[in-house]
Amino acid sequence: MREPDWASMDEQEFEALLEGSVTQPPPEHVVAEVTPWRLATRRILTGIGLTSITLNFFWLNYLLPAIGMTLMLLGFRALRRENRWLSLCFGLAVLRAIYLYATLILNSTIWFSMASSSPVVHGLTVLNLALTYMQLLCLWGGFRTVQQKAGLPPHAGSAVALLVWYGIIGLLAALQYNGLILPLALLISYICILRSLWKLSKQLDQAGYAVRPAPVRIEDGIVAVAITILLVVGCLLGWLLGCKYPMNWQAADPAEHSGVEEIEAQLLELGFPDYVLQDLTAEDIAACDGALRVVAETREEPMNGNDLEAPHVTSVAVKLPGEQERWMMIHHFSWAEYPGFYGTESIQIWPAYQDFEVWRPSGEATGRVLYDKNGQTYTAPYYFLGDQTFTSDSMFWGEQTSTDLFAAFSMPGTGEHHRGYLAYSIQSVGETRLISSWFNYTHQRTGLQYPVVTAMEHRMSGIWYHSGPFQLMQYSAQFLTSELNEASPTP
Amino acid sequence: MEEQNIIKRLLERDEAGLHDLLRYYGPLMRYIIAPIVTDPQDQEDCLSEAAMRVWDRVDQFDPSRGSWNAWLTAVVRNTARNHRRAGQSHHSTQDLDENTPSPQPNPEELLLRQERQAAVNQALARLSPDEQALFYRKYYYLQPTAQIAAELGTTERAVEGRLYRLKKRLRKLLGGEGYAGT
Repeated sequence: MREPDWASMDEQEFEALLEGSVTQPPPEHVVAEVTPWRLATRRILTGIGLTSITLNFFWLNYLLPAIGMTLMLLGFRALRRENRWLSLCFGLAVLRAIYLYATLILNSTIWFSMASSSPVVHGLTVLNLALTYMQLLCLWGGFRTVQQKAGLPPHAGSAVALLVWYGIIGLLAALQYNGLILPLALLISYICILRSLWKLSKQLDQAGYAVRPAPVRIEDGIVAVAITILLVVGCLLGWLLGCKYPMNWQAADPAEHSGVEEIEAQLLELGFPDYVLQDLTAEDIAACDGALRVVAETREEPMNGNDLEAPHVTSVAVKLPGEQERWMMIHHFSWAEYPGFYGTESIQIWPAYQDFEVWRPSGEATGRVLYDKNGQTYTAPYYFLGDQTFTSDSMFWGEQTSTDLFAAFSMPGTGEHHRGYLAYSIQSVGETRLISSWFNYTHQRTGLQYPVVTAMEHRMSGIWYHSGPFQLMQYSAQFLTSELNEASPTP
Repeated sequence: MEEQNIIKRLLERDEAGLHDLLRYYGPLMRYIIAPIVTDPQDQEDCLSEAAMRVWDRVDQFDPSRGSWNAWLTAVVRNTARNHRRAGQSHHSTQDLDENTPSPQPNPEELLLRQERQAAVNQALARLSPDEQALFYRKYYYLQPTAQIAAELGTTERAVEGRLYRLKKRLRKLLGGEGYAGT
């Protein structure tokens, strides 16, 4: 018997032989897979499931929606020319994907969390929610149209159920509902709806044979890889370029203290530490004109842990002249060595008037940050300096709203002797002998955090001490205002 | 449940079952016919013919040997191929004279064909599930490259590349260690 010569057979003959040789029905997995519809619907429904659910661990609340949105995008892309409802779904999926991916990238910078309470971001969040509702509505219309085209009775109730479910979730979020029973019921109903949608997709399998997927110019796999690269590169750029405040560093003028030399001499005579005095602005030195008394104390280590990489902190109290008792409090910090990383840093002051009502603030807080490089000193104002009202949730004291004095800044990765100070004035409205002022310094140890938050936001969140990329260092300065002429160290 | 009802009614020779078959499985049947019989009018004729073939042979469906969809797919696909072949031979015989040899294969050719089928099936079994699906789309469902590309979310060029590699692999399997012909 003559054997067919497979190797030397020309292409046409080989193809004809292959076609003529397959006479048995295809295997079950092939029969199930060869359909124009199933791949797209499975992707869409999986995408809906992944973008709806929120699992707040291992970054799944970011990873799952990113994967889900990509699946939805690819699913709707295949069906975009099937009917106008599914075309709309694709358009809405593109808009939602842009919003989600932009959010994921911006989350790698300090800017997104800082802008999270802005009306623009709030508006975009509401718009995204509205797009989600519209997309589900269009999906419902799209499924029904496909069924009608195939001559089958239209029904896609589970899509409507999911729409209602989203509506209730949105309403609860708007009302800031904190109960447990309703969310639990919603979670159960959500699982039921997803199961129902899955069943619906199977029911739609027969109708789906009437669907004609649209051709694509770029493969699904390439689109998915491109989105992944976009997100990874975007986040890396965000971490590199968006992890610090833009500080206005300027070379310090060597003659900036000209005109206040006499006041400087007077302060030095009263015991003002020289290294602190050299860092003050001429305006702050001038504000100490006629100083009556100076009390200072230095701490090499923070109160809450002597094993931390921490700046040295010097606290100085200057008694100012006037009818009422007035003091200027100056908290000066200085990093003796480069701590390994500078991202965002934060200073939170619990001022003297917070503990004792006999003290009142007098004027605005001032201060600046400095560093040296190649023998030149550079200075910059704080990125933020002022009072900040915030609500934190502590496991010890529950939810609390406070207003504290904050300074936020970033240090450059180059240079040495990074330092700064923060000053504020107080005046007494009664009898007191004590000034108590707390200096809480939050240092960012690493840039590896997602989503990125600033040291100030971390501090305001109420998370205790050393968590994740941040560490808190606390210093307390307590001075007796009369009778004793020296600082009283904190126990 | 729809499937069992339709099969039951077809087996009971209930003509409404035929109507339901076309209503429920019409999209699948059209999907299989369309790449094989390209003329829209012929497609409708072929659909009717396939439905009648199902009506005639429904008692041959054995659930233990495979799903209803697989059986229906095979019946419709074979009907469509026969329909196309009949159309082609109808056109070509108009010019043939009585001296033209019969297109029916002789016993030796039949035996050779069976061997080829066995060899191809053996080679197919060694392909990955994705490769098998691609093979069946191309050589069983006879889908054009553009349709395969659209349904797989890829480009025609990529499908052509995959088919090229698939054929190369098959040649190797059939002509090399994979081919066990006598």
